[in-house]
Amino acid sequence: MSILIDISENLQKGRAKAVKQLVQQAIDEGIPAGQILDEGLLSGMSVIGEKFKNNEVFVPEVLVAARAMNMGAQLLKPLLAEEGVKSAGRVCIGTVKGDLHDIGKNLVKMMMEGKGLEVIDLGTDVAPETFVETAKNENCQIICCSALLTTTMGVMEEVVQKAVEAGIRDKVKIMVGGAPVTESFAKKIGADKYTPDAASAADCAVELCRV
Amino acid sequence: MEYAAVQVNGKSLEVPVGSLLSGILPRGSAETPCGGHGSCGKCRVTAHGMLSGPSPEELVHLTPRELAAGVRLACCTRIKGACTVTVGNAGQSNIQMDEDMPGFEMNPDFTRYGAAVDVGTTTLAACLYRADGLRVAQAGGPNPQQKWGADVISRVGSALKGEGRALALSVREGIGELLHRMAYEAEIEPGWIDRVVITGNTAMLYLLTETDPECLAHAPFTAERLFGEELSAAILGLPCATVYLSRCVSAFVGGDMTTALLYSGMCNGTGTRMLADIGTNGETALWHGGRLLCCSTAAGPAFEGAGLSMGMSGKTGAVDHVHLKDDSIFFHVLGDGAPIGICGSGVVDALACLLKLDKLDESGFLENDPAMIAPPVSLTQKDIRMVQLAKSAVSAGIRTLMHREGIICREVEELAVAGGFGSYLNVQNAGRIGLLPMELIPKVRVLGNAALGGASMILLNRDMRVRSESLAAQAETVDLSVDDHFMEAYTEGMLF
Repeated sequence: MSILIDISENLQKGRAKAVKQLVQQAIDEGIPAGQILDEGLLSGMSVIGEKFKNNEVFVPEVLVAARAMNMGAQLLKPLLAEEGVKSAGRVCIGTVKGDLHDIGKNLVKMMMEGKGLEVIDLGTDVAPETFVETAKNENCQIICCSALLTTTMGVMEEVVQKAVEAGIRDKVKIMVGGAPVTESFAKKIGADKYTPDAASAADCAVELCRV
Repeated sequence: MEYAAVQVNGKSLEVPVGSLLSGILPRGSAETPCGGHGSCGKCRVTAHGMLSGPSPEELVHLTPRELAAGVRLACCTRIKGACTVTVGNAGQSNIQMDEDMPGFEMNPDFTRYGAAVDVGTTTLAACLYRADGLRVAQAGGPNPQQKWGADVISRVGSALKGEGRALALSVREGIGELLHRMAYEAEIEPGWIDRVVITGNTAMLYLLTETDPECLAHAPFTAERLFGEELSAAILGLPCATVYLSRCVSAFVGGDMTTALLYSGMCNGTGTRMLADIGTNGETALWHGGRLLCCSTAAGPAFEGAGLSMGMSGKTGAVDHVHLKDDSIFFHVLGDGAPIGICGSGVVDALACLLKLDKLDESGFLENDPAMIAPPVSLTQKDIRMVQLAKSAVSAGIRTLMHREGIICREVEELAVAGGFGSYLNVQNAGRIGLLPMELIPKVRVLGNAALGGASMILLNRDMRVRSESLAAQAETVDLSVDDHFMEAYTEGMLF
């Protein structure tokens, strides 16, 4: 449907106002909200995600595209609930205790939302207990931890331990990322997954929610 | 022979009419690496009065705006009569050293020889002075701690894992080597160095003194030790009698900012002035209404040549300048040999040229990846992304401080720019790529290594120590990590 392609293309250019108008128009035309989300907003965001992964676009483009997506998604939210459309999964995300960097974490959040996941943002300087309690109380399938400092990435290990202690380790997957984090570090601390960039993190989260 | 009255930095001279400016300026004040052929554009001075008209070479290197402001190339401009000339600080060696000290009384804190040392995250720089204030030697080199990581935090992390002693010894050895080299150059015994003033960012001083850096490792990042201390040199294993470590402002704003502030003189009197020290950590200060605000941003080492695919520091073989002529890229290499890499000033120029040629778009997308600059030296898409993060961190820091004080660019009287590139930086291009806000470009004064200059001032005038400590005590640190305006300026500033 051409209007959905229009939504996707305007979203990629970060035109929030146009996206909002087009989404409203699509709703008025009677297109199901789930379809507008999938074929309009999420398809546009996945193009941006792919380009980001390939270094073709950068942080500012992702931010404006995400802003445009949110404008459209707000209109769809009540309708999606009515239609009984379920999110692709539920994730809680945060930057670990002692660390205040949030650009990377925010990018991951946006990319995940762009994949239709429901994301609970715990912000920065998040204690391991907070991750675990949120996952438990909000029924999250994934805990997603970010750290930008070599001196704070150790906190991720505590998150894994707390999840074990709380008895939810078999119910929740733990993803880790951030500049100093590596695949082997993730393995060492017993996390489930490391991803090198925001777009891969979103792809991976969708996969993990599927199983 | 006819003589003309010429004022150079306020000093009166009588020189023969027809002399080239480059011939009458103090040695080292205007560099002519191209041998005075007008091809490198590095011997920039500001001159007004009876002078020859702009040469074709000057028309290539200088913008109409610069020419209108009196900027000239010293090697191309002849004196025709009375004129005034202002020369900035030019570095003669590859690592930027201070040249001219701002005017102050000599009242040194040592009897025979004294040294000033700047411990940068990436580079070390030092100067040796005689008791009469004459600089007798200078030296520079990489910070040997780099093997523990290019950034401050990985070194702090290593120190916490029990490597603290090794980190301290390695930088002490580096400083000791500079002192020995300078002593050799000045033909004195290293033991004749009575006093060393050391400046550096907070983490560097922690690691140098083997202070437990736990408090610097994570939020809320409060420095327990701010220095401004006298130490016995023996503690640091240095061949001198006493050591003074400059006072830090906070965990993020170090003693190097304190000495740079001192050197810039920006807090003397009322007015609104700014200072940006562009290094691995971009530190910025704003003096306004008697209040001093500082902040620090993690710019990364891109402008110090590290981290880029073909980046290098400003040494022989580095492309340090790039310009366009008839839409073709021309470049200059330090040492005039074949290009082997590109340093910070070259990166700034290269990006400005790629933008002008439309090979790089507003979003930072490179049409052809990699972009050839000076074969075989090129910049990749990934390099560009790294520079985008770095330049945006610096400019967003500047904008955030202005926003905090509610002032606009028009109100800023001066932006002093310090750091590794020093006088190598093409200020116009820095504005073009958004490293510095364009509106502030006409107000830029380039300082070179201001942190080292300020350390030298403390060494050469015993009153300056108290002055610098009161500056540090007065400065307030703005925490950018929780500042919404910074985040906005940072993401917007990534564009060109």
